[in-house]
Amino acid sequence: MAVGAASNPEGGRVDFYTGNVLRIDMTAQSVAVEPLNMDWAALYVGGKGLLFRYMWEYVPVGVDPWSPENPLFLMTGPFAGTNLSTTSRLVVGAKSPVTGILNDSYVGGSFAPEMKFAGYDAIIIVGKAAKPTVVTIRNEVVEFVPAESTYWGMKTSEIEQAMRDDFDPEAKTLSIGPAGETLNPWACLSTDQYHKAGRGGHGALMGSKNIKAIAVRGTGSVTVGDPRAFLADMERVHREFVLTDDNLWAHEEGTPILVDLVNGAGAMPTRNWSEGYFEGAKNLNSESFQKIRVKKRACYQCAIGCRNVHAATWHGVKVMGEGPEYETIALGGPNCGIDDIDALMKFNEECDQWGLDTISSGTVIGLAMDMTEKGLHDFGVRFGEGETYVQLPGLIARREGVGAELALGVRKLCEKYGAPELSMEVKNLEMPGYDPRGAFGMSISYATSDRGGCHMRTYSVADEILSGAVPAATMEGKVEGAISNRPPDFISQNFSSIKFCGIWCDFWAVNPTQVSQMLTHLYHRALSDDEIMLIGERVWNLGRLFNLREGVEADTLPTKLYSEESAHTSGPSAGQAIGEATWTESLRRYYELRGWDADGVPTEAKLHELGVDVRL
Amino acid sequence: MPHVMISRKKCTACHMCELACSLYHEGAFRPSVARLRSECNPTTTDIKGFTCLQTACAKCQEACPNGAITTRAVPLKLDGAFDSAARFEGLAEGQALIVDEEKCTNCGDCYDACPYGVIHEHPERKVAFKCDLCDGTPQCIVFCQNPHVLAVDLKIDKADVRPVPAE
Repeated sequence: MAVGAASNPEGGRVDFYTGNVLRIDMTAQSVAVEPLNMDWAALYVGGKGLLFRYMWEYVPVGVDPWSPENPLFLMTGPFAGTNLSTTSRLVVGAKSPVTGILNDSYVGGSFAPEMKFAGYDAIIIVGKAAKPTVVTIRNEVVEFVPAESTYWGMKTSEIEQAMRDDFDPEAKTLSIGPAGETLNPWACLSTDQYHKAGRGGHGALMGSKNIKAIAVRGTGSVTVGDPRAFLADMERVHREFVLTDDNLWAHEEGTPILVDLVNGAGAMPTRNWSEGYFEGAKNLNSESFQKIRVKKRACYQCAIGCRNVHAATWHGVKVMGEGPEYETIALGGPNCGIDDIDALMKFNEECDQWGLDTISSGTVIGLAMDMTEKGLHDFGVRFGEGETYVQLPGLIARREGVGAELALGVRKLCEKYGAPELSMEVKNLEMPGYDPRGAFGMSISYATSDRGGCHMRTYSVADEILSGAVPAATMEGKVEGAISNRPPDFISQNFSSIKFCGIWCDFWAVNPTQVSQMLTHLYHRALSDDEIMLIGERVWNLGRLFNLREGVEADTLPTKLYSEESAHTSGPSAGQAIGEATWTESLRRYYELRGWDADGVPTEAKLHELGVDVRL
Repeated sequence: MPHVMISRKKCTACHMCELACSLYHEGAFRPSVARLRSECNPTTTDIKGFTCLQTACAKCQEACPNGAITTRAVPLKLDGAFDSAARFEGLAEGQALIVDEEKCTNCGDCYDACPYGVIHEHPERKVAFKCDLCDGTPQCIVFCQNPHVLAVDLKIDKADVRPVPAE
C-alpha cells in the first residue's frame, strides 16, 4: 500500500478557494500538490471555466482518450463548502472516450464540499494502476488500496457502504459500477448512491485507469472573508432569491412535472424518437410519482431539496431510491414504450446500481426495440416489454448475452445493422428528453452543445413549453436566445457557462444580477450583467478552442429532427418541421453571431474581445 | 428548557445547520466541528439528528470533574426575518451549558458521558466544545429556511414560554 503525504509548499489559501490542486499518478502510485493557478481562477472563476483551462493545459494535444495519459479532472466551484444553496456540485471533466471532445459532467451530492474540506479545489488523475485500486484521501494523506479481490465488481451502493465501513464512516465516495469496469461507453460516476455524473463515459475512463472509487474525508474548512457578514447575506439571498415560488416547484413536485408539459407539446421522445406524444405518459407524470413519493432529500448545502425518494414494488421486492428525474422518465419510459411506473423504477435502480447513464441506456434500449420491431435484428425485446427491459442494464453492464452487442452503443449498432437514420445522438452523445419537432429551439441546443447531445447548455424548453412565452414551432429568435440571454428567461450557452463556473444548479433559476451579487463576495466589487455574460462567453469560446484542437465533428442534428419529410404525423406537434433551408441558415447564423468563421473557428477579434488567454 | 432538535422525518440532510453553526463559531465553514450533526445514509436515505439537550440532559455537566461546564441563561431572540419566529408567541429563555475553557482540562469525561455525541475535543484548542445556542439566535434554525422543511427547531415546553416584557 503506497502512502502519499500531500503538501503544497508554496500554497496559500484564498477565501472560497483552498488554493490546492491534487495531482495523482496511478501508474507511479504517487501524488503531488500544486498551488491553484489564481490567474486562471480570476479569468475563469471555477467549475466549468477553470476545468476547461486546466484541460487545455494538461490534456496532451491529440491524446488517445483511452490512453493512460488522458487525465480525469474533478473540479469544484468557489462556493462548494459554503452555505450558498445549489452550489455544492462537482464537475467531472475529460476528453471523452466516447465523443473525443471535451465533456464536463456535473453531479450533486456531497463529494465536492468534502474535497474542499480535505483541502483541494481540484484533483487531476493520470496514468493507469497495474491492478484495480481504490484511492482514499483523508486531508493530506492519500492512499492507494488494492481493490482486485475486494471491491472490484461491487455495485454502486455496495462500494459506498464498503468505504464507510473500511475507510471512514463519513467517507464521500465517487465510484464506478460494474459498467465502468467493463469500459461501457456510457458508464457513469456515482456519489451518494443516486447522484450521477452521467454523460460522456467518465465511468469508463475511470475504469480504464483501474480506479474503482475515490473516497474522500475532509476535516478542514472553507473561508469566506467576514463570517458574520456572509451569514447575514446568505440569510437574505435564500429568503429573496432561493426559497421563492419560482424555485420551490423543484421541492414540491420536482422534474416529473415536465412529463405532462413536454408530452402535451408533442416533444416527448417516444418509441425511439418515432413519435412526439406518448399515450401512456399519464402513468409516469408528476401525479403518479407523488403517489409513490416517500421522502425528500437534498444535496449538500441546498435548502431547496429537490430530490424525491420513491418506493415501488417489482416482483414482490421493494424498489426504493431517489428519482427517477425527468430525463430518465422520458428515455426509459416513452422512448421504450414503457408506461409501467414499477418497471421504470426498476430500470432506474438497475442503471444506478450497475453504474449506467439512464439517458444513453434508454436510447440504446429504445433502439434495440425499434430494430427488433422493424426486423433489422432481433434483440429479443419489443416496445413496452417491461420484463425484458429491466434486465437489459445488467446484461449491458456485464456485456452478457444481448448486452454484449448493445454495449456497442447507439451509433455503432446503427452502423452495424445499416440503419444510420435511427442513430439518435449528436457527436456520439445520445440526446435527452426533448424532441426538437415540438420545441424548435432544442435543435440548435443539441447541435451546438460543446459536449454533444445535451439539454443543459441552452434550454429553450423553459420558454417554448414551460412558460409558453415564446412560440415553439419557429426558429425565429432561437439562435440569438441559444447564444445569449434575452427576455423572458431563455437559458443561454453564455449564461449557463458562467452559471456552471459557480457551480449553480439549474433548480435555482438564478439570473446574471444574482450571480453578480454572489461573485461580489469573491471579487470585492460589483460586476455588471455584461461582465457576467462576458465571462460565460469566454468560457464557451475556450471550450470551442479545445474541441477544435482535439478534432470535433460538424455541428449537426439527426436529419429526421429537422427535415420536412419526417415531421410527426400525429400528436400535438403533427406537421411541424424546421425544414432543411431554415436549419442550414440557423447554423450559419449561429456561427456569424458567435463571431466564428464559416468553419466554426473563433476569430482572433472575438478571442481578444473576450480575453481568452490561449490560442490554437 | 428549550433546546435545538432536528426532526428526522422532516430533515433532508442538506447540512445547512452544520455549515451555519461552524461559520458562526469557527469563522469558517467547517462542519467537522459543528455543534450539531445530521447523519444520513445516502442509500437508505435514513436520517438521524444529534443535538445537545442542554439542561434537559446535562450528563456532561454531571461528569465534569472540574466544574468547567456551567449553566448560562440565554434569552432567545427569534424575532429575526426567519420563519421560526412565527412559531414563538413569546420570547423564551434558554439554559445553555457552556464550557469554561479556563477550567476545562480536556480530560474527556464529558465526551464519554454525552449520549448524543455532541461534545468533543476541539482539534486545535484542545478543550471541549459544544452548542451554546448562538447568543440566543441559533444559526442552525435560521438556516433551516425552506418553509416546506423547517426540520431544525427549538423543542420547547409551553411552560417555558412567557410573554415578552413590555419595554
